[in-house]
Amino acid sequence: MDIFTICLWIITLIWFIGSIIKDKKKTFGSIKMSSGMMRNMIGEIVGILFLIGLIITFIPPETIKQYLGQSNVVLSTIVSAFVGSITLIPAFVAFPLVGSLVKAGASIVPIVAFLTTLTMVGFVTFPLEKREFGMKFALVRNSLSFGFAIIIALIMGVII
Amino acid sequence: MSLILKKIKSNIFLSLVILTYIILFIFLPDKGIQSLNNSLYYIKEMLIIMPVILLLTSLIEAWVPRKTIQNSLGEGSGIKGILFSFLFGSFSAGPIYAAFPICKMLIKKGASVANIVIILSAWAVIKIPMLANEAKFLGPQFMLVRWFLTSLSIATMAIITSKIVKKVEIPMDDIITRDDAVLNVDKNFCVGCGLCVSVSPENFVMKGKKANTAKIILISEENDKIKTAIEKCPAKAIKYM
Repeated sequence: MDIFTICLWIITLIWFIGSIIKDKKKTFGSIKMSSGMMRNMIGEIVGILFLIGLIITFIPPETIKQYLGQSNVVLSTIVSAFVGSITLIPAFVAFPLVGSLVKAGASIVPIVAFLTTLTMVGFVTFPLEKREFGMKFALVRNSLSFGFAIIIALIMGVII
Repeated sequence: MSLILKKIKSNIFLSLVILTYIILFIFLPDKGIQSLNNSLYYIKEMLIIMPVILLLTSLIEAWVPRKTIQNSLGEGSGIKGILFSFLFGSFSAGPIYAAFPICKMLIKKGASVANIVIILSAWAVIKIPMLANEAKFLGPQFMLVRWFLTSLSIATMAIITSKIVKKVEIPMDDIITRDDAVLNVDKNFCVGCGLCVSVSPENFVMKGKKANTAKIILISEENDKIKTAIEKCPAKAIKYM
């Protein structure tokens, strides 16, 4: 557990205890309402997590590394942005992976595109986002994120 | 049997994933085991974060007044709202789906679409532990430039999204309770006859050719004039949502 998760737990628990002392009925009433909403989400989330496990098995980090380090920068940027959108590898795996590529002299444009879509575009979380926020919201947010990831990558290629 | 079918129907996505795993275990059992092992890390992450998200969402529902969210994250919150959303998203913990219930609660309490985009994106991308990790492996300069460009992009995306997506297009039926539904005029149905404005000028205004509510009206604040306006509307465009 990282420090932020621990802080979140501590703050929330203190607030929760205060809330129970102040108004027990109101507290549990709200929990009942929120769990109603989250119960609908949890099946989908579990599905997503097992899907991520599948994706990582069939597109392992080593394969991703190959795409990122391709010599054709334009093609590899687009492919990297797509790979980043589909996979969801944890940051502590992603950064050392691309770090080694940069040290080996690979172009940073596809790497930035990959890093940015990795977190900002959620292909596997899309169905959930769609259900919770509507088709239009999910579509607009994810496609804008994809576009901006490419723009950020190009700008960084020029600056650095 | 019908109960099982119903369960499968309401969890079609999960069922498909389970089916894939079953097929995988029959034909490529070692890949199946590997996939399960990979998933374990994410399942653990979910079990650590979701209970605290549930509590936090409930506590916001119970104690944070609508006015507070409206002022700090609502449509008129301006720069302050943007900054607040960035900070809130950055100092959060957990994967992006953990932000979904909290964001929904914030929308319900009056946060704007733009600020929700900022919170969601910042939650996913700008995390302090992640930034530290990035600086370690790719250098502080790389991290700072990417962070700056990403923040700028998120703010731009928020503005664009809020122009395209209206709040009424976000499904809220799983979170709205009877007494805090807000009165709304559906622009797609409103024919602009102005009847509601003449029945109840203090609650409705004409904006362009469509009617709109003059202020935020909760269902608990309903009076006879509003009731009449809802009933008289020829397009049945006035609803609580």
